[in-house]
Amino acid sequence: MGGFFEAIGDVITNEVTYSGAMRFAALLAFAAIGETIAEKAGTLNISLEGMLLGGAFAGALGMHLTESVTVGLAFATVVGVVVASVQANMSHRLTANQFVVGLALNTLVLGIASFLNTSIQPVSRAAHRFEIPGVSEIPLVGDAFFNQPWPLYLVYPMVPAAWWLLYRTRWGLEVRSVGENPQAADVSGIDVNKRRRQSIYIAGFTSGLGGGYLVLGQIGRFEDAIVGGQGFIAIAAVIFGGWTMRGVIGGCVLFGTVNSFRLTLPTVGHELNSELLSAAPFVVTIVTVTFFAYRTREPRALAQPFVRGLT
Amino acid sequence: MNEQARPLPAEDSAAAVSAASERAPSRLSEAGVAAAMYLGCIVIALIVSAIIVWVTGGSPQDVFSALLDGSLRAPGRWGETIGIAIPLVVVALGTAINGRAGVVNIGQEGQVMMGAAFAAYVGVNLAGPGPLVIVCLLIVGALAGAMWAGIASWLLYWRRVPEVLTTLLLITVASQATGYALKVDWLLLAPFREDRSVRNQVSDQLSTGVRLPRIDIWGNDFPISSIAVVLMAVIVFVLFRRSVWGFRLRMLGRNPRTAQRAGVSTVTYGTTAMLISGACAGVAGAMMLSGGDFGNYRFTPGFANNIGWEGLLVALVARSHPVGIVVVAFSFAGLRAGSGFLAATGVEREISQVVLALLVLALLVPPAILFIRERRRALSATRDRT
Amino acid sequence: MADQPTAGTEVPAVRLTSISKSFGAIAACDRVDLTLRRGRIHGILGENGAGKSTLMKVLIGLVLPDGGTIEVDGERCQIKDPHDAATRGIAMVHQHFSLVEPLTVWENVMLGDTGRFDAAAARRRVGEISEHYGLGVDPDAKVGDLSAGVRQRVEIIKCLRRDPSILIFDEPTSVLTPGESEHLFDVLRQAVRDENRAVALVSHKLDEILHATDEVTIMRAGVVVQRMETSEADAPMLARAMVGREVSLRSEASALGLIETAAAAETPDADSDGQIEVAGDSSGTRVPALRLRDVAARGPDGRISLDGLSVDVFDSEIVGVAGVEGNGQAALTDLLSSLLSAESGTVEVAGTAVEPGKPGAMSRAGVAVIPEDRHASGCVLDMTVAENLFLVDIERISTRGLYDPAVMRRDAARLIADFEIQTAGPDAPFWSLSGGNQQRVVLARELSYSPKVLVAAQPTRGLDVGAIEWMTDRLREVAASGVGVLLISSELEEILQLADRVVVLFRGRIIGEMARADVNLEELGLLLGGSDAAASAAEAA
Repeated sequence: MGGFFEAIGDVITNEVTYSGAMRFAALLAFAAIGETIAEKAGTLNISLEGMLLGGAFAGALGMHLTESVTVGLAFATVVGVVVASVQANMSHRLTANQFVVGLALNTLVLGIASFLNTSIQPVSRAAHRFEIPGVSEIPLVGDAFFNQPWPLYLVYPMVPAAWWLLYRTRWGLEVRSVGENPQAADVSGIDVNKRRRQSIYIAGFTSGLGGGYLVLGQIGRFEDAIVGGQGFIAIAAVIFGGWTMRGVIGGCVLFGTVNSFRLTLPTVGHELNSELLSAAPFVVTIVTVTFFAYRTREPRALAQPFVRGLT
Repeated sequence: MNEQARPLPAEDSAAAVSAASERAPSRLSEAGVAAAMYLGCIVIALIVSAIIVWVTGGSPQDVFSALLDGSLRAPGRWGETIGIAIPLVVVALGTAINGRAGVVNIGQEGQVMMGAAFAAYVGVNLAGPGPLVIVCLLIVGALAGAMWAGIASWLLYWRRVPEVLTTLLLITVASQATGYALKVDWLLLAPFREDRSVRNQVSDQLSTGVRLPRIDIWGNDFPISSIAVVLMAVIVFVLFRRSVWGFRLRMLGRNPRTAQRAGVSTVTYGTTAMLISGACAGVAGAMMLSGGDFGNYRFTPGFANNIGWEGLLVALVARSHPVGIVVVAFSFAGLRAGSGFLAATGVEREISQVVLALLVLALLVPPAILFIRERRRALSATRDRT
Repeated sequence: MADQPTAGTEVPAVRLTSISKSFGAIAACDRVDLTLRRGRIHGILGENGAGKSTLMKVLIGLVLPDGGTIEVDGERCQIKDPHDAATRGIAMVHQHFSLVEPLTVWENVMLGDTGRFDAAAARRRVGEISEHYGLGVDPDAKVGDLSAGVRQRVEIIKCLRRDPSILIFDEPTSVLTPGESEHLFDVLRQAVRDENRAVALVSHKLDEILHATDEVTIMRAGVVVQRMETSEADAPMLARAMVGREVSLRSEASALGLIETAAAAETPDADSDGQIEVAGDSSGTRVPALRLRDVAARGPDGRISLDGLSVDVFDSEIVGVAGVEGNGQAALTDLLSSLLSAESGTVEVAGTAVEPGKPGAMSRAGVAVIPEDRHASGCVLDMTVAENLFLVDIERISTRGLYDPAVMRRDAARLIADFEIQTAGPDAPFWSLSGGNQQRVVLARELSYSPKVLVAAQPTRGLDVGAIEWMTDRLREVAASGVGVLLISSELEEILQLADRVVVLFRGRIIGEMARADVNLEELGLLLGGSDAAASAAEAA
């Protein structure tokens, strides 16, 4: 047990931990920001995983074809939105069950991505690091925030932008109302399902970008298992954060840090069971959600389809 | 529907909707329209798959032909398909039950893993007469799956943690936990012998006495558990159609408040449904292990091999109808068995996953359209009658 | 005929000509004419189901008429949906609120607007409107924290913000205390006189119409029976026109909201019979069918919903629970439906204690319930009619945990015939039934297991005339057959018509009780508003 605490001590004093935590947290945040908006509008968007994976493969493919990270990221967002369009139209136009659509989409994207991956075998590499002079000198966390591959920085402006969109625009107000009381929103003249579809498109955009960042900013190349359940952890971060932007980002940082521990522990010379470490982010997520999230109130119409007259 | 339950993955509103067509003469044409819609959607899904194959330089014709050979046409492939269909049916039947109760379980993959792992431990370590050990390992597998699903339902009713999330996250935990068990020899790791290289992490093989007997019909052989599976489907059918328990389960799924008023406790019935669902997934894992079609009687990393996921999709596509489940499971199993023959065509076998997912998406469309049409019709009739 | 005096000079704000709308065999509106003028409050009076709500829905675009024409400001037009209505300056304050609870007042008010999003301006505007009309609404309050009365004011602000020329109020006082209603009418008058709007006030309460309106149109069974200037009308005249016969009985007059007139009449109720005495003086010795003692409970939001409530219901007795909506009616129904647990207090059915909140305990003990919102707890929309008839006691037709769907269908067919339920058959989905027939299914089921007590919460809300009559008759029959009936209603008319004994529910407790023969309407009115003086007077009596 002493060894365990010693290991934790070594890890938390190592700035590599923070850099890693930031990279994991950024991936979760890309996805969770969009998911927050989608859930505020009433969709529990399971296909987040597929959006990330689709974005990741598209990013690699874009890079493969043009040698450009920017184009790769553009590809990634496009594919993210395409996946979102299937989810949005099937669950909020055809009123098919959103979980079923999400699960099928995850399977489909995984199938297509791994099929095309073996057929095309795209070559890609990570974007270069961009050190922001001055602030990156801050001890312990300076590197984490300001010396990262440049696609990571895209997440910084997205947080306030998403907050502004949700709480300072008419669109955001309408999104929040359709997630809480679609009947009232409908009576007020708001197209409930349209707002829900739009919010899923936003989730597709941000998590597609997140997928692109994962392959072009963090890993460097595409693998079938590259996302490995991070989309689900992002959903958990939204629940953990109680559907507030601040809480959600907090959740992303917490889960990202746990994930980072897993990687830094061995590098600082501690031998810990690798299965335990791999499972840790998931276990920690379940435990924290259990103890913190029950107090918050979810959007009242979350995961409930809206059909006019079904009241 | 203010307080009505959120509609669930497994819903049979299609049945209710079709029953709604009050005019008898038009019922036939309604059925015709529905059939045509299903057919059309399946054809579209197949065409899209063909395009994907064609774009990447493969021959769609070869692919479909290989899939058919691998699932049905080549000698002995029926047995292979049935062997794969067995766990799919069992997982799907369990999913139908929790879906009926309005509880979501999408963690069957993990529950299958747990079931298989515990079954492997019992099968390898328990000494006794073969049939007794088989029964034991099936029971233990069921308990393990139920335990894994039980965690989710416990957290749901204790702390309102969304079961969608917990069942999902527990999949990874299950696969890591069983992966760990395969690393230590006092759990599942087989002792070092010549048939296992040092790096291979597999369990000991079940001895011949504790394997499920296999039936052979005209060169197609499959485990005897297939009979039990058909029986299970019949039982679930009766439970759904005629039992008070099934009736109340459906009430709970459709309107928990009405159900509670009528004496259906959300916690008791919801937990029971979830435990049964997990037990089904667990026993499916145990059947996979002792049946021989998966992993050659050994537990291996990634043993569940997507059976949990596919079983879930089977239930959703079959809209929780037991007969539909058997049919859909057989088709999905065929696709999987057929993918084994794809290597010869030069097309990657992942294409079978793509075909499967496209089919699932396509099959969601017709009931949705029928539902909306029926709704509109009823709405124009009842709108503002109050 | 009311057109003539002023029509020459001014174009009316709205002119409806010969509007017809029928639902199935029932004509909700039959060639109805209506003219709304600027600067005037037009009362539309009628009993429940007289067609007045349908007429208003035509005007707001929720119902498309089968025939007739609509003119707004002299221009002939079609109103296809509420948006259409809004662009023509027609707004309606909804009877059931269309507010999003977790949002603030100003957010709710600007919901559905278009154009630039200016939070500061919206907040300011809400404050201005609130101040201008003396509504006292805080723009930054969360709607979920507000009482029903304040929420209605938020609805009004939401309407007024778009500066509509035509305002429709549909039964606005059903959720208000008398004081709040008075305040509402002040606001209305201001909106009309000072700002030259046209207002339609839909109501079935005579005193409201007499107090607040300038002219009145009276509807009965889908047709306009009379039109007059309110100044020329008096209460008996309106009542006669509305009901279609002479209204002499005190209970009926009071039911129509004739509080002053009825209170002045001192003649004892000729309609009351021996039942009241049975209920009144033997309560000490007989075991009541239902007894609640000091029941306290909290709603899901953690607020106290029942606060030491005690009430007895004896066999064959109808006890009416009067009260302004939102004073614990829903919680009381939930409690007796096993949907709410009590924090303290006891519930006894025929002398046996029953644990509230334990699934199914109440129905097993013999408490039948017609819930206020049958979709929420009285039925399963997606199941068939037959299945809905057996939701509570499927055991009745089952052996060893299995039932025969054929037996279920057969028994259901019998109930369908007995209760005259209009349906395609036992296998028709429940949602395909009309509201009245859904209510019949609920009643048929609840009576089928021989209950000791029947709890009827707002049993006639939203039903048409025929259905209301049918339901009223059935409730009387049920009581006559020996079942104790607890009638929870915010319609005083319904309670006075049916109940042998009236209790008043205020903030989760019973603050007054009187036998129907002793009903003093003035006192009752005060009690409804929670007046302490009235409460202590009632206790002393």
